This record gives sequence, structure tokens and C-alpha cells, in this order.
Amino acid sequence: MSVTGSAGARGAARPLMRLVTMSGAPILRQLHLEERLLRRTADNWCVINDGTAPPTIVMGVSGRVSELVEIEPVLRDRVPVVRRYSGGGTVIVDQGTVFVTIICDKSAVAGLQPFPRDIMSWSGQLYGKVFDRFGEFHLRENDYAFSHRKFGGNAQSITKNRWVHHTSFLWDYDVENMDYLKIPKRAPEYRLARNHTEFLCRMKEYMPSRSVFTDGVITALGEQFSVQPTDLETVLSNDEEFVPSTKLLSQQDLEEIVSSKGSSSLGVQEVEA
Amino acid sequence: MAAWARLASRSRLRPSASGVCGPPRASPPAPPPPPRAGCAGPAAPPPPPLRRLLRLPQVRSSSAPTTSSLGDETVQRWRCLGGERRWLASEASAAAPAGEAAELVEVPLAQTGEGIAECELLRWFVAEGDQVDEFQPLCEVQSDKATIEITSRFKGKVHQIHFGPGDIVKVGETLLKMIVGDSQIVSPDNIFPSADKSLGEESVVPSSEGNIHSGTLSTPAVRHLAKQYGININEIVGTGKDGRVLKEDVLNYAVSKGLCKEQSSSLEESAGPVELLKEAEPLPGVPFYEDKKIVLRGYQRAMVKSMSLAAKVPHFHFLEEINCDSLVQLKTAFQNVNKDNTMKHTFLPFLIKSLSMALSKYPMLNSSFIEQTNEVVLKGSHNIGIAMATTHGLVVPNIKKVQSLSILEITKELARLHEMASHNKLSAADIEGGTITLSNIGAIGGKFGSPLLNLPEVAIIALGRIQKLPRFDDDENVYPSSTINVTVGADHRVVDGAMVARFCNEWKGLVEKPELLLLHMR
Repeated sequence: MSVTGSAGARGAARPLMRLVTMSGAPILRQLHLEERLLRRTADNWCVINDGTAPPTIVMGVSGRVSELVEIEPVLRDRVPVVRRYSGGGTVIVDQGTVFVTIICDKSAVAGLQPFPRDIMSWSGQLYGKVFDRFGEFHLRENDYAFSHRKFGGNAQSITKNRWVHHTSFLWDYDVENMDYLKIPKRAPEYRLARNHTEFLCRMKEYMPSRSVFTDGVITALGEQFSVQPTDLETVLSNDEEFVPSTKLLSQQDLEEIVSSKGSSSLGVQEVEA
Repeated sequence: MAAWARLASRSRLRPSASGVCGPPRASPPAPPPPPRAGCAGPAAPPPPPLRRLLRLPQVRSSSAPTTSSLGDETVQRWRCLGGERRWLASEASAAAPAGEAAELVEVPLAQTGEGIAECELLRWFVAEGDQVDEFQPLCEVQSDKATIEITSRFKGKVHQIHFGPGDIVKVGETLLKMIVGDSQIVSPDNIFPSADKSLGEESVVPSSEGNIHSGTLSTPAVRHLAKQYGININEIVGTGKDGRVLKEDVLNYAVSKGLCKEQSSSLEESAGPVELLKEAEPLPGVPFYEDKKIVLRGYQRAMVKSMSLAAKVPHFHFLEEINCDSLVQLKTAFQNVNKDNTMKHTFLPFLIKSLSMALSKYPMLNSSFIEQTNEVVLKGSHNIGIAMATTHGLVVPNIKKVQSLSILEITKELARLHEMASHNKLSAADIEGGTITLSNIGAIGGKFGSPLLNLPEVAIIALGRIQKLPRFDDDENVYPSSTINVTVGADHRVVDGAMVARFCNEWKGLVEKPELLLLHMR
């Protein structure tokens, strides 16, 4: 299904990848766009969103709100909570977050099986090229880290013929925002029960600028794809039939959870946070 | 895929004239193999395990099957499958295209990746009773941090769903049961006792002893393996359930026939061709030296990475000799006043402290270089790393803020880090944040080194062993002097020879005359 792009250095044709860059787009809008590109188009895409507003909590597809989020402060401060379409954990995103999303047809990368760990390994190598010179870069379980500190969280969604791998990168973060999140029950081994400030790090302490980072990503992708910048306007179409599954939880949803908190602990399944 | 098609065309089971399939009465009946079936899996899965089908003999639609019209063996088979199945036969055939036998297929959750044992079911796209096409998405599961659509391998009808949203499904557990038409079923040769008259082969029932006359029970992969060895699979005695021939059976048979050398029991699961490598026969009396492969992990792997990066930096090395006579006296003095028997005084803490004092004067050596912006970060803390050789490999934990530590505190912290390192218990904090590194390689041996930088630092110091060498004193008399060779490695993009030389002079001065340390100490 992949469209052949221009010939690469070795003469092999690189598949086309359309690049959409945004800045400060609300995360809900970004996720809706991603779902539409995943489910309703046949192209390969890279979406980069540099910073987002307003600060929003984003949970994975099956996260339990009461276990992952401090609901009372969230309600009090009216922090939006979004449940996204991909798996994975909970993050709070803001102006300091840089998002990179890769959407591919399953045949786009030769030899890559559309399974979570295979895709994770491929992306780890891609980002290794971007980050190796700035610090001791590691793919630790499902996270990107400098040494033992996480700066990028990943999630995926795999459909019949396509897959998405998206990352929220902590260029910078507000320590106070982390207080809206609980420390998840299930966490990667290397976290070793550290709290947010000891577990995370800020990319800006390792790299000179956001554009060095995003340019690096585009360059690394360019080794495997023919990257073509695409205007956002041409991407947005009148596809009104499509209903994305990424949802914003309403104030009412959250209030219901608070009031039913007493009974919700019964028969709770361990869900990976 | 070609293999499947081949098997399908060969083993299509057609109902006999009477409409009832049954085993020949001559052979003793045995319980039929339990149903196991093909997989629903993500669209590009690895080859699926063999599907065993629960075959329901086709029944003429005009009459419901009754006990009298079927052989005892068939009824026994039905009973062994548990519960009433008769109603399924008619329902199954109703679901299948006319004239074809219908199969009830159990569809398990396939592997979604190495080491993933279970997934969470998120939602169903189909309901019981729905007709589904091949490759149509059935449900969505979550595995690791991915949501994955599971698609159907068959065209058929959803009969029974086994899990609901939120349930955890183990890989291999049955997700759902489907009723599938015969035309697309692929079954291995003669797997069931039902007669396949069109092929003219004797139908078989696997006996309890596992003797198989023709039509051996086995998977396509095992048959392929037997073919590779040029073995007639029918000659092999199967040790699997119901006399099934397993991979081990083929290999053991091959070994016994001298077709291959004995292999270890842990064989990779693969349907690919087997290499028949003839190992050189060792000559009697001559020792057989084997290569050994070691996978680098942990500290060793980290070293591959860090040293590859270090190789990109232009290093230069500077050698100096330090007279340690005063240091030796100092150490003896420390040891004499030491009331704590558990603590051992060595030279290193003193060298570390004096190094820190020299760094205060030459902060460029305690820095980090940012290539992209041509900036040098002069690090505020002196976090002096000490290279340690552990059984697991080389590791460099560092002592934080040496400027604010006394020599005694440095000694204690050094002992703690040694302890942690030897038990592989160093924390991330211990290893991170170093600003300069000391390698006391001389403790093991050696005079000079050309140490490689521990990036992103700009300097590293290797200490050779203390040697007793003849040197001249102030009165030009020869005396035995405790001397240590020090090699400083530095990043020549940031630091030049003159700076290193001056720094070294400063440090050497403090070590050779410890009273200066006292003078400048804060």
C-alpha cells in the first residue's frame, strides 16, 4: 500500500512519509487527527506537535481514572482528562511536551513485523540516532531515557494493516503538574519506586533547542522514508462520518468516579498503568 | 501457504454414500484427539500451530442423527467430547454452505510478541451469530503499551465468545468459537479416523501403542523435517499424544539411523530447513578446542557503547611522575590513629581530595562540552568518578561534591561504593553525574596508561602503581623514593597541553607537600 518515494542513497526506493508539523495544538485535536490518519488514510505519516495547550492529562485506552489520577485536585482546577485510543500509561502534557507520532502501513518498513516489541525496537533504533550524541540514550522497557531517567513515553496502536507509534517527549515539565498524577501501580522495573522528579529528566538539559531535536527526528526518518512536508489544511477534510475513539472525559464522568470510589475497589483488575 | 493448499486438496474429507463417517470396526476405538484449532491473530503472524478440528460428520438434513444409524465408535467420540453435541451437528451444517460439512473451530489468542504471556481484551467488533469474513477484525486487545486489532483467519460464523471487555486473556486461551465451512479447512493427512474413500487409503485409528500403519499423525513441520532427512514418517513410532509423531521422534530416529549427530534437546521451533552439518570427527587423543560465544550484557554492553562514543573525541595524553613519600607517611599516620578496624586507609582518598583542590583552580578540567553550541559547562560540583573493576565488568560510580567532604568522609563513601559495586547494587544516582574520572589501575598493575574519556567528561586520570625508584633528593643523594606515574587523558577540543600541565603541577604540589593541602583547605 506504500507509495514509492524518491530513490535513496543505495538506489532502493524509500516509501513516502508525509510530515505534518504543528505547534501548541491541543492534544485532543492532535489525537483525533492521528486516529483519522490511521484509520481513514493509506499513507505513512509523521506528526510533530511542539508543545500543547492547555495542560491536559492523557490516559491510555484502558486506564482506571481513580488509580491513575488525583481526581479531587483535577476537578478543583478543571484540568482536562483525555482517554486516548492507544495503550500505555498516563501523562500530563503541556507547553513543555513535544509530540512525535509515526503512522505506518505495515509494509512500509521492510522486514518489520507489526507487533509491539518489534515496532518498539525499530523506533528505539531510530531515536538512538537522534539522541546518542546528546547523552547516554537508552530504550528502557517502553521508555526513552538518558541513563536511568525517562524523557519520552511511548504507546502504540496496531490495526489490521497499519500501526501507530507515538511518543510524548519531555522537553521540559512543570513539577507541580506531576502532582495531579498518582504513581502508577504497575511501573517499569527500572523505575525502582522513584517519584516523578527522580525518575524523569528534561531534554532541555541535554540538548540545545527544540528544533535541533525535531530536525534530528526528520533527518533520521529521512534515512528510511522520503519525507514530504504536508500542509495541515490539506490533511483536514470533511470526514464527518468518522468518529474517533479518543474522548475527553466530562466533569460529570469524573465526579461520578469520585462518588463511587468507595465501591470501585472491589474486584479491581490489575491494569498496567 | 502453499503447503496448506496442498494438504487441503489431498485430504478433503467427503462424506461417504451413507452420509455417515465411522471408523472401520476392525481397529479398536480410541478417544479422538481433543479439539485444538487455528489462531485468530494479527494480520501478519508467524506460521500458526497445527489446527486440529472437531469434525462433525455431515448428517442428512432430513433426519436427525439417532444412535442406531451411527457406529458405536462415532457415538463414543461424540460422548468423549463432552455433553450433547448432536444439536451442534445440525446447527453446524446449517451454518455451512449446502453440501459441505461444517467445523466448529476454537480460536485462541495468538502470540503478539516474544515473552508476552497475556493481553487485556478491550472490545469486540463482532457478536455471537455474526458472519465474519477472512481478515475481518474480531476484537481489540491491549498488550504492553499497544492496542492490537485481532483479525479472523476464517470466513464463518461467530458461535460463542469466551471473554468480555476488561478480561485478561492468556496467549493460547480460546477467545471465541467459530463455525467454519469445510471448503476452506486445511487438515493434515488422515488425521481423523473418518474414511477418505476418494483417496483410496486405509483409514486409521491411532491405537494406544502408537503403532501407525499409514497416515501418521504429525504436524506439517514435522513431516517436512522427516522429508529433509529422507525418512518415511510412517516408519517412525510417535511418542506424542495418540501416537502423534513429534519432532524429537524424527530426530531420534534420524540419529539412530546415523543420519545426523545427536542434538541437544532444546531445539528452536521453526518450520525452516534443517541443516545437516557434518562436524569434523575429532581424532582420538587430540584435544578439541571449541570457540565460545559470549553475549555482552549489563556493564560490558554499556562499555561497548561508551567507548565507541569516546573514540570519536580527540584525546591527548599527558604523563607526570608524583613523589609519594609524604603520602606514604600520611597514610601510616592515619592508620595509626584509626580506631575503626573496619576502615582501611588507602592513598586514594587523599589523592581524590587533593585532585578536587586542584580542580578548584582549573575548573575547565571539571567540565562538559556541548558540541552543537560550542559551549563548555563548568560543572559546579566535583563529582569524582572512581573506576572499579567488578566481576560484572567495568563500572564508574562517583563521589559527589568532593569539595565539601573531608578525607575521612571520602574514605567512607569510597568503601560504600566498592561494597555496592562488588554486589552489583550500585544505584543510578551513584553512576550518574560524574564530572571527572580517576582510574587506579595501578592497584592491579601497570606503570602508564592511555585512558579513554568517560563522556561527557573532558578529563580522566590513570594512576599507575607505586614503585620504589632511585631518585635524587635535595642534596643530590640517591634515595629510594615512592613514585607514582600519573597519565592524564583529556579532550583536546576543550583542553590544551599547557592547561593540563599546570593543573598537574598544582595537584602534584599538593600531593608531594600535604601541608599545602592544610593551608588551602576550607
